[in-house]
Amino acid sequence: MNNDNLLRLAEELVAFGRKKGASQIEVSIRQGSEFSLDVREGEVERLVEAGSKGLSLRLFVEGKMARASSSDLSKETLEKLVENAIERAKLSNSDPLAGLPEKEVISVDIEKLKMWDPAILELQPEEKIAIAKEIEKICLGDKRVKKSYGSSYGTYTGQSFLANSNGFSGSYKRTTCSSGVYLQSGEEPNLFDEGWNDSSRILSELESPEDIAKKAIHRVTRLIGGKKVDTQNVPVVFESPMTASLLSFLFNCINGNSIYLKQSFLAGKIGEKIGSDLVTVTDDGLIPGAAGTKPFDGEGVPTRKTVVIENGVLKNYLMDTYSSKKLNMKSTGNSSGANNFYLSPGKSTPEEIIKSVDKGLFLTGTIGFGLVPTTGDISRGAYGLWIEKGELTYPVAEITFSGNLGQLLKGIEMVGNDVKFKDSITGPTIKVAEMTVGGK
Amino acid sequence: MTEINRRDFLRKGGVGLVAGITSPLWFDMLAHGKNPPPSSAFFEERFGVAKEDMRKILEIALSKGGEFSELFFEYRVLNSVRMEEDIIKDSSENISLGVGIRVLKGAQTGYGYTDDLSFEKMKQTALTAAAIAAGMSKLSVANLTQKSSNLQVYDLKSPLNELKLSLKVDLVKEAYNAVKSYDARIVKAQVSFSDEIQYVTIANSEGLLISDVRPQVMMAASATAEENGIRNTGFKTAGGRYGLGFYQNIMPPKEVGKRAAQDAITLLSAIDPPAGEQPVILSSYQSGVMIHEAVGHPLEADGNRKKTSIMWDKLGKQVANPIVTIYDDPTIPNYRGSLNIDDEGTIPTKKMLIENGRLVGYLQDRLSAKFMNMELDGHGRRQTYQHNPIPRMGNTVLVPGDATPEDIIKSVKKGFYAETYQGGQVSDTGKFTFSVNMGYMIEDGKLTKPVKNATLIGTNVQILNEVEMIANDTQFFHGTCGKDGQSAAVTAGTPTLKLRQMTVGGRQ
Repeated sequence: MNNDNLLRLAEELVAFGRKKGASQIEVSIRQGSEFSLDVREGEVERLVEAGSKGLSLRLFVEGKMARASSSDLSKETLEKLVENAIERAKLSNSDPLAGLPEKEVISVDIEKLKMWDPAILELQPEEKIAIAKEIEKICLGDKRVKKSYGSSYGTYTGQSFLANSNGFSGSYKRTTCSSGVYLQSGEEPNLFDEGWNDSSRILSELESPEDIAKKAIHRVTRLIGGKKVDTQNVPVVFESPMTASLLSFLFNCINGNSIYLKQSFLAGKIGEKIGSDLVTVTDDGLIPGAAGTKPFDGEGVPTRKTVVIENGVLKNYLMDTYSSKKLNMKSTGNSSGANNFYLSPGKSTPEEIIKSVDKGLFLTGTIGFGLVPTTGDISRGAYGLWIEKGELTYPVAEITFSGNLGQLLKGIEMVGNDVKFKDSITGPTIKVAEMTVGGK
Repeated sequence: MTEINRRDFLRKGGVGLVAGITSPLWFDMLAHGKNPPPSSAFFEERFGVAKEDMRKILEIALSKGGEFSELFFEYRVLNSVRMEEDIIKDSSENISLGVGIRVLKGAQTGYGYTDDLSFEKMKQTALTAAAIAAGMSKLSVANLTQKSSNLQVYDLKSPLNELKLSLKVDLVKEAYNAVKSYDARIVKAQVSFSDEIQYVTIANSEGLLISDVRPQVMMAASATAEENGIRNTGFKTAGGRYGLGFYQNIMPPKEVGKRAAQDAITLLSAIDPPAGEQPVILSSYQSGVMIHEAVGHPLEADGNRKKTSIMWDKLGKQVANPIVTIYDDPTIPNYRGSLNIDDEGTIPTKKMLIENGRLVGYLQDRLSAKFMNMELDGHGRRQTYQHNPIPRMGNTVLVPGDATPEDIIKSVKKGFYAETYQGGQVSDTGKFTFSVNMGYMIEDGKLTKPVKNATLIGTNVQILNEVEMIANDTQFFHGTCGKDGQSAAVTAGTPTLKLRQMTVGGRQ
């Protein structure tokens, strides 16, 4: 089925749903092709190539909602799916706030968002294999690297279609390429594993095989000899990917659903100072070429730039249509989650931040869950490097770090200048005044 | 950042995690309220894929020199319904249909999948998967012979996917009301219910043809309590490969709701955990997570075949205190990880992993078993037809000892008692963490103040040797495990355990 036909299929199913008694209906279809390969010890270990599609729909009968989805796009299945959903909707309770968004015009020029790169489609399997092999070869050439779990190269190209009974009809296409490697170092019983993976919408912006290999080697070898430290309260410097992981927890705490369900410690805190002056956090779905960029969200609401925290003051939540109505606010175009959610860069370089610490932890990795949005509590396994007198000294491992996101946001003392938009949630190196590091 | 080598175990907790659904959208057969039996004819009758076509596709898949080819047909219907803010918010029905085609050549895997079961499309997919091998085929495909499993480890009486939505709504409301009525301090409740029916047919170039029909149900409740500006959330999930009888006789929905509410209230007075190394008791309630992470994952054969797991060279060696015996058994009836056949068509067996502290086995899939020259044991699993099979746990169990939980608590002067978990995570190097949602302080041999949000951290080699006492009160934890980007329903059971010393993460 070609692409125009898929948008038409969505529109036809919307019309069918209306005819059968849905007061509102929304249909989205995704079509995509995946190519991925793993190389281990110089050989292609796995190669996956496939195309797939899927349809999902949501409909309302007098404020009562039902959903459905299918990978089988045959007409009889889809029509049956709609009929069943209408019957099921009648068993839900009426919710006056439930419904589709009002139609908004997508004014952005989709071409300018740089979400699609034809060069990715033209890349031949042999080239992808060669890149993955090269990365692994460089890594295994370093004597400190003990083993390779494998290197990988993947490409994805896909198109999203959305139509609803409020008259919205739109589509966009995206490409992604990614490559990485995962390694093991150390001596038993003190083995360490780490790696590096880069991804991009634009082929020319993907890191070179040398860079990926170098980063992975650096990340795994700097941990060799890691040991526990005494339990203590110290400043913690978050390496940029760790800031991103903190921000994904923050996203859970400021998304509209957690707020109206009161499952976040930030519920009811709009206008309050919740972080240090250095903290400005934004969601922006329109950054050209960035990982989370899209013209509209899963409900057809245009994406935009929303300042969530400005100089420490909570300004807005990130919402879909329903949660925004629950909170008596306006949708921010976040029904698909974070678009590009980031902590604004500061002026310091990562080196300056490390230099400023007399004794503390440079956090490079975490393991485990231990995040509670209701309270903001954080408790995870951690590893990294110990900082003494502004210098990175020995590696630390098998420690825990604990704190509270609320206190942590207030304790951010320095913000680095190193933000990259390779993931939809991203941030620079930061320094936090104090957290508990648990060890011996 | 990549996390490709992390394996984690996530409690199917937050109600939001369960995709929404309800009534079976099955035109002909299911419309009459009957699940068809497991038979390869299912895909022929329903989707027009004849046995002879399967054989032809298997042959095409071998045409470039592959040594083994396999088809995995899947049809899955997942229904769910969700209640929050005192109303049924929505219901949903999700259908997934497709075939995954795998070709093996040495240690190499070629994989393709399609959601279109026409002969032409399957042929094209087979050729894509075949390309992993570059040569000419000399192998032919044996005649497909229908086989069936001698096991029946699912409860197929009163299947929930055949139950009317209105009756499922009643189950959800019962749990919801139990949360709300538990205590005046409960401010929010959420309950979701999901049921799934999965049809699989597996055919391979060795002539195997086998099918299965697998139910899976899950109820999840969450409760948020508030007092003096402090808010906490408790969770409870309950399910398995059951029918309606489970919620009528074994785990009534009101018990599910009550437990979530009880934990939320207890957490209101919880303190931060004491940080540092100390004796730790793992309660039997959910501590199967520990067995799953510390023992199960490092003993999955893939990491051992590739020598990346810390356990690869320890077969036959003493790796744990001799009081420790652990096995994995997918043939236990009705648990989340129970299987009549695995996703490669192998009939599972109870697999001993650690016997009196000695490492005696790994969990195998076809690829690893061949390279390690070991027997298949029915642990090759995949998330959907879009995924190639890998070795996974089913139901992992630590054999009970003869202590009582009371003896164990009494033996600790000062320490930490872990009760409920957010989950656990482990890497191939054996480093793991468990994220404890709720626990207790142990003071002078008694459980005292409740403790929230602690992290336990260690390495599997160390923890296996720190097991000092084992009680006789086994309970099972039912969850979802993630590995290499694939999720799988699993169960892990353990009695109450005492660990001599472990690092607890908390705040000072």
